[in-house]
Amino acid sequence: MNCLEKITATIKMQHVERVPVIAQVFGHAATLAGVSINQYVSDGETLARCQLNAQRKYGYDAVFSVMDTSVETEAMGSILHYYRNMYPVVAKHVLSPDIDLSDLVVPDPQEAGRMPEMLKALGILRKELGDETLVVGCVVGPFTLAGQLLGLENTLYLAIDNPERLERLLDFTTEVLISFGRAQLKAGAHLPIVFDPAASPAVIPSSFFREFEMPRLKRLFLALESMGSAGNWLHIAGPVTSILPYYRDAGVDIANFDYCVSMDEANNMLPAVCLDGNIKSLSFIEGTPAEIRKESKKLLSYFRERGGFILSSGCEIPPESRPENIAAMVQAVETKE
Amino acid sequence: MVDKRMKAFISAVLQGDCDRSVRVAQELKESGVSSEKIVVNGLETAMSALDAKCTLEEFNLLEIMLAGRAVMAVMKLLYPSGVTTNTSKGTVVIATLEGDVHDLGKNILKMVLIGKGYRVIDCGKDCPLPKLIEVTSSENPIAVGISGLITPVIAQVKQVRGLLDDRNLHQVKVIAGGAALKQSSPEKLNVDFVAESAFDCLHYLEKVAEVAI
Repeated sequence: MNCLEKITATIKMQHVERVPVIAQVFGHAATLAGVSINQYVSDGETLARCQLNAQRKYGYDAVFSVMDTSVETEAMGSILHYYRNMYPVVAKHVLSPDIDLSDLVVPDPQEAGRMPEMLKALGILRKELGDETLVVGCVVGPFTLAGQLLGLENTLYLAIDNPERLERLLDFTTEVLISFGRAQLKAGAHLPIVFDPAASPAVIPSSFFREFEMPRLKRLFLALESMGSAGNWLHIAGPVTSILPYYRDAGVDIANFDYCVSMDEANNMLPAVCLDGNIKSLSFIEGTPAEIRKESKKLLSYFRERGGFILSSGCEIPPESRPENIAAMVQAVETKE
Repeated sequence: MVDKRMKAFISAVLQGDCDRSVRVAQELKESGVSSEKIVVNGLETAMSALDAKCTLEEFNLLEIMLAGRAVMAVMKLLYPSGVTTNTSKGTVVIATLEGDVHDLGKNILKMVLIGKGYRVIDCGKDCPLPKLIEVTSSENPIAVGISGLITPVIAQVKQVRGLLDDRNLHQVKVIAGGAALKQSSPEKLNVDFVAESAFDCLHYLEKVAEVAI
């Protein structure tokens, strides 16, 4: 059974010989290779080489063409501030709340900003790995992109002051993400993960998620599925318990859950959906291999009977993590108690 | 009449109705109520009511943002120059550190603290440590609040206490908050307190302010 088949079986809640383990390694792959984060997020070939290097070292089941959460907004004209060893951030948002939405144009993933570099990375990764390791692309969620275009505070106030306008903006951002996701699948991704940090209940009320975001996520996932995506993977960090019940309607196949959501909560809310999580990100910096191993074993034991589980961190494994901690998580699926 | 109007004012702020809050504050002013009373009896009461409503389980960030926006608009009406007379509770310096632009949490804390009568000096986002230390040295605050959504800022957070101590600012408390920092502990971050939310930070500050007065 190759990795793609293993993940597909896990999504279908079938038992597999070894539980898949996916370390959410992005910038850490650059740190490991002695490359600056700046170069890593700017150059597709560098990103792919670093990802391959990290995957060979640790032996986990997926590689990621993930740069940062500002790729789409930069492609549409936002100005970013780049650092040598931190992810770039938006210095100037391209949209203001009063802009004419009819002027907006979906960017061409083959030309706009760093989108082509992400596609290049996917091509290299898929060529090197085939179906032996899952090749994962990335788009942000519709609400997150709106926040990256307008500024998060402006977006939230818009939701209150002019909800119809926000809905139109979200329809547009959904189109951008469908277009970028389609290009990623064509370039070689088995699936694009959808990162939607701004849709977390830590930011928006769950009723907002249900009314504004869920229908757009559904549209996005349906489109990705029709283009051959191997599964709909939704990643929202933070205390997501209150929105988990909407995941099924949105068409989620793999639901990431963060450290602040308990195994019971995730399992009870989504008994028939594949889950991935939920080791605390910071523990890969502050913790020890023994602690990571203990956490991993606890998760593996809890989900052993149920199946439909991918061992992972609750959110990104930070760039400055200790390699021995990542190795401890990967080894946990290999060893029996 | 004033009591009734003050109640209407508190209700407008709590509902996050910015225009109505400003309108009723203006009426209160015109009927002779001092700016300080509008802050203490109006805004602070509204913020306390919001505080009581927002538990960790039922934390509605948008509700706080809307009330906070009303607070800021009312403060602008009461103190157009930006200088408040009501600083008895003390000054707090806040910042989102260099490399991090996720300042929503910081901005919410700012609105909550202003609503509760603190003087707030906001160093903004992407703030280099030397700037934070300079501002703290010159403003004599009771505390410094630093936020971080991403882990790379942790290295900076750990330095703040020592840098303040180097300048003999031992009495200034260092408070950390934000998604990345919340995962850690005061000991590991070398700070005095790690806040779960803006109101958690406020509760800690109220204790500090009590001692400082």
